[in-house]
Amino acid sequence: MALQYKTIHPVKYLRDFLAHNVRPDGRGLLKFRPMALNVRSISSADGSALVKIGNTSVICGIKAELATPKAEEPDRGFIVPNVELSPLSSSKFRPGPPSEEAQVASQFVFDVILNSGCIDTKCLCIVPDKLAWVLYCDLVCLNYDGSVLDACILALMAALNTVSLPEVEYDHEKSTTTVKTERVPLKILSMPVSTTHAIFDDEVLLADPTCEEEDLASGTITVVVSEGKLCSVWKPGGSPLTESQMDGCVDRAKNRVSSVLDLINTALKSSS
Amino acid sequence: MAGFDLLSDQGLRLDGRRSNELRKIQCKLGVFSQPDGSSYLEQGNTKVLAAVYGPHEIRGSRAKRLLDQVLVNCQYSMATFSTGERKRRPRGDRKSQEMSSHLRQTFEAAIKTELYPRSQIDIFVEVLQADGGNYSACVNAATLALVDAGIPLHEYVTSCTTVLAPPPATSWDDEKLEEGEIALVDASHREETSGSPTLTVAALADSGRLVLCQVGQRLHLDRMNRALERALQGCKDVRDVLDEAVRDHLANCGISEAASS
Repeated sequence: MALQYKTIHPVKYLRDFLAHNVRPDGRGLLKFRPMALNVRSISSADGSALVKIGNTSVICGIKAELATPKAEEPDRGFIVPNVELSPLSSSKFRPGPPSEEAQVASQFVFDVILNSGCIDTKCLCIVPDKLAWVLYCDLVCLNYDGSVLDACILALMAALNTVSLPEVEYDHEKSTTTVKTERVPLKILSMPVSTTHAIFDDEVLLADPTCEEEDLASGTITVVVSEGKLCSVWKPGGSPLTESQMDGCVDRAKNRVSSVLDLINTALKSSS
Repeated sequence: MAGFDLLSDQGLRLDGRRSNELRKIQCKLGVFSQPDGSSYLEQGNTKVLAAVYGPHEIRGSRAKRLLDQVLVNCQYSMATFSTGERKRRPRGDRKSQEMSSHLRQTFEAAIKTELYPRSQIDIFVEVLQADGGNYSACVNAATLALVDAGIPLHEYVTSCTTVLAPPPATSWDDEKLEEGEIALVDASHREETSGSPTLTVAALADSGRLVLCQVGQRLHLDRMNRALERALQGCKDVRDVLDEAVRDHLANCGISEAASS
């Protein structure tokens, strides 16, 4: 019976739950789903991590390649994040070129990397104007069940922590490169943590929404915190928020940081 | 010929297997919540995910609709980080298109297509790590995902990639030397890329009927039968592993559902 009710009146179904301060999956309104993290799961990648937040799964694989730096920034390497929302992850997505949502997510991840300064791209430069590393960070969504951006940032940071780059020697006279076997771990300067809330009926805030809740919500807000400082707030339209609601979101995002960092550290420790 | 021998003097392969031995297969059904059926399969270092959606209404143009059978739509995709060298395009290149169409042909033969006219079944496979036998691992994973989705199949369709290796130069067994090439079942990436002939077979394992068979490189007709026999035996071995996983899954998912209700 509940299933039919849910199909016919999805909004009312959710509203009935929220009236009792509980969500369809049994969580409180501001509770997060359990997270799981596995690092170094893909041995063909230079760094990798698999993240599960509730039912949402994202895998991140990082490949390093050599390239020539840009002429206007000769002393910097590159980081190229790419979020892929494949049709495998949800029936919402169709085969074909990347959807708008996937491209927006890729740009969001890129902005977070830039704003948080988690990696100094100068470290990726080997010989100015000649040789630099490109880190291709491919994030593949395997199961789409809400808060994908949170999962992407978590997977990316965990995977970056597992990256080690081989030492490279550059011969100026012959302009040849030799890649050595010794590997140096990548320096990570900060750890941004992302937290998403959904806004339902213009007033109720739901932390870490599932796909169903996101679809019915009147808006979402994603807050990224790095080293106790705000590094990105992203609210793509939707219903307006009051200042106190906004503060609540930021506070919860800040409070979540320590648990997420603990998770990453535990996963890294247990794999090395 | 390749710079290294695929078989040691003792008749062991580069990774220590015997010629008719499969790699370790680890698999799990029902790994994700969004698709109707899903599975994860590891065959040695090859790691594959499969998801099945459907049967559902035809998406896109109505013209694709088939009046007497279900439309099987497959997409083969390789994560850019799955190979040694980074892949530029996860799908859409010629190799992936070929793989997609091979998968579709295989599963059209295995699914009871006549049961769902005017409908569509989507099979998506994603290779997370590639170490040889990609097509085979995808077929095996997709079979599990179809079982998980509850889509009626004629029987398990399983696949096995076989490489014909030249016998070791100094064989411990003179008889073996006379037999010529030795079929290596469930080839790894190094064996596949050694330049020896490759035979990929997908079969309905219980009845031993071939669904798809592809030979790369030149292969003497005399060798064909023996290689095919080995590959079919490999398919049957894979089938036993998959069958055990399915039974295990069904036994356990019954318990967890009964406990929660």
